[in-house]
Amino acid sequence: MSADVAVRRPAAEPLPARPRALRRLTPGHVVALLGLLALAALPAAFGDFGFFVGQYVMVYAMVGLSVVVVTGYAGLISLMPYSFAGVGAMVTGAAMASWGWPFWLAAPLAAVATVPVSVIVGAASVRLRGLYLAIATLTAADFLGETFFRWDAATGGETGWTVTRPALGPIDLSGDPAFYLLTLVAAGLLVWMVEGLRTSRLGRAMYAVRDNEIEAQALGINVFKTKLVALVIGGMLAGLGGAFLAALLVTSAPSPFWSPVVQATSILFVTLVAIGGIDRALGAFFGALVVVVQQQIFGGAEFFFAFVGIYAALLLIVLLRFRPGGLVQIGRMQWQLIQRRPAVGTAVAVGVIAVNVGLAWLFVGLS
Amino acid sequence: MSGGAPVVEIALFGLSSGAVFGLLALGLVLIYRTTGIMNFAHWAIGLLSVVAYIGLTAAGIPGWGAVIISLPLAVAAGVGSYRLVFRKVSRANQIIVILIAIAVAQLFSSLAAFALGFDAFTRLAPWLPVTQVTIAGAVLSANELITAAAAVAIAFGFLVWFRLSTTGRALRAVAQNPEAAMLAGIDEAKYSQIAWGIGSALAGLSLLLVLPHVAGEQGGVLTAFEVSPLGTLLIPAFGAALVGGLVNMPMALVGGFVFGLARELLILAPAPWNGLRSSIAAILIVVLLLLRTERFFTVRQEREALEA
Repeated sequence: MSADVAVRRPAAEPLPARPRALRRLTPGHVVALLGLLALAALPAAFGDFGFFVGQYVMVYAMVGLSVVVVTGYAGLISLMPYSFAGVGAMVTGAAMASWGWPFWLAAPLAAVATVPVSVIVGAASVRLRGLYLAIATLTAADFLGETFFRWDAATGGETGWTVTRPALGPIDLSGDPAFYLLTLVAAGLLVWMVEGLRTSRLGRAMYAVRDNEIEAQALGINVFKTKLVALVIGGMLAGLGGAFLAALLVTSAPSPFWSPVVQATSILFVTLVAIGGIDRALGAFFGALVVVVQQQIFGGAEFFFAFVGIYAALLLIVLLRFRPGGLVQIGRMQWQLIQRRPAVGTAVAVGVIAVNVGLAWLFVGLS
Repeated sequence: MSGGAPVVEIALFGLSSGAVFGLLALGLVLIYRTTGIMNFAHWAIGLLSVVAYIGLTAAGIPGWGAVIISLPLAVAAGVGSYRLVFRKVSRANQIIVILIAIAVAQLFSSLAAFALGFDAFTRLAPWLPVTQVTIAGAVLSANELITAAAAVAIAFGFLVWFRLSTTGRALRAVAQNPEAAMLAGIDEAKYSQIAWGIGSALAGLSLLLVLPHVAGEQGGVLTAFEVSPLGTLLIPAFGAALVGGLVNMPMALVGGFVFGLARELLILAPAPWNGLRSSIAAILIVVLLLLRTERFFTVRQEREALEA
């Protein structure tokens, strides 16, 4: 199936990205790789606080990847990614605290445990149009919050389970820098897998379904199955993110997954991924970076809810109006500028990054 | 529960919360029908009025006056977000429209949180009379009666106006076929804004009906839970709107009562069943979604207009 034939762009402007055939290593890939390496070292510039924030960025990016697959690739609006993360966190907690499993077994179990939830939610609602699916998932999050997350056998009661951070053989990963590197590697692998999914046969089927269901059906794509698979993959990604979230917090209290807090957090995840770029794996990462760094730099949970909420919402509205591909799209345009006019483009890119890092550094220093 | 006839009390509480769900749903349906946008920011827009109301009553303005002064804020927020944002994106791209609605909800709820400060509880002065009346041996709180009556009166007034006035007819014309309406000389942009304005006013009114009066005699409290993008009452309001297939207003009002009564009357159910109380809204919504209620209320033409 050739990429040119696969999807004709419908009259209305869809999300901007198209699936491209896999290419060899290009300068772009090298730059991306160098950027990632720089990122791995970046928190060191901010000391302990840098690693502390870095772990949150990576874990949020993992949960955000589920939004990329479900909404970005398959075009399904799910307003319950954080509920899936919650299922993952609870399963991890139960497996580690009450059955004595190691983290390395509990995390895959957390991913698998979300599958029945995805299948039930999906089978009941995936035939619905976008809007109805959004209402259905909103409701499902409410329902899970009232049943599963109030069930003491699953949640370990009000205070939740105590989770220990994992160790890799003799290497202890419980310190913030070590755990940051672990989450970086895990998030990096997942980004790579989700990016691979985009150019795979299944990913293209998802794009086709997103852009035009009837056309996709005419191409022989099983629309229902494709949507359901997208939901299942998204649920597993969020579940895995939830496992790392539990390890990050070293506990898994159920109260953040009760309604309406859970919906507010889920909406935050959709927002941050849309800021980063909803149909690219890296979008989840960039969105998490922007929102989490803001959240942590500008103080406690309360202030975050107001100020970062306003900031993120305004940023998202402006991006959706003018650059619906989010920060990834802006980055790509910047890359094109570098290719056309290397001096100017590089200067702008370096300048923007320097200003942002400098501002962050200044704020961390002040607080 | 003060003995006597608890059923009457519980039913009344169900009726009053149901009336509020219905009123919220009316606003959702009006906006969806006219502009094809499901307003996930409905609650957050209404919150702005509540914030203004708190500020005004704290400044010594009597409750009634504060309600009247604070409603235009919700109207301005609704019309403003429609004109500046929703109108600028193609309706056909449902993903972007829903994402924008979410962003707007986040914006307004964050603004509300910012204005309120970070107290877990904010007190609201009631503006409806807070007394008790005895009817048929049951001691009833008057404000629930009045809330229910006021919500129903507003809803009926609105429905009659929507049915009979020229503006209401123009709104219905835009909902059924925007192109034909434009050919008939109806300014579609203007009436879309009117729909958003009225819908937002209904959101503000329903929040102002319920929030200052929920805690009875002490006056209401606004908790941190309610200052979230989708407050606690928006899910039953979506459910109520679904009863009317998201397009039928009288049925949305009826739906509000169904959701309110179902939730409260389950208190009386025997032991295992009263546990359903907290999830009954979710269960009802799933049933309504599976029934695909919109097919009972829309003609083919209207459905196509909404889905286009």
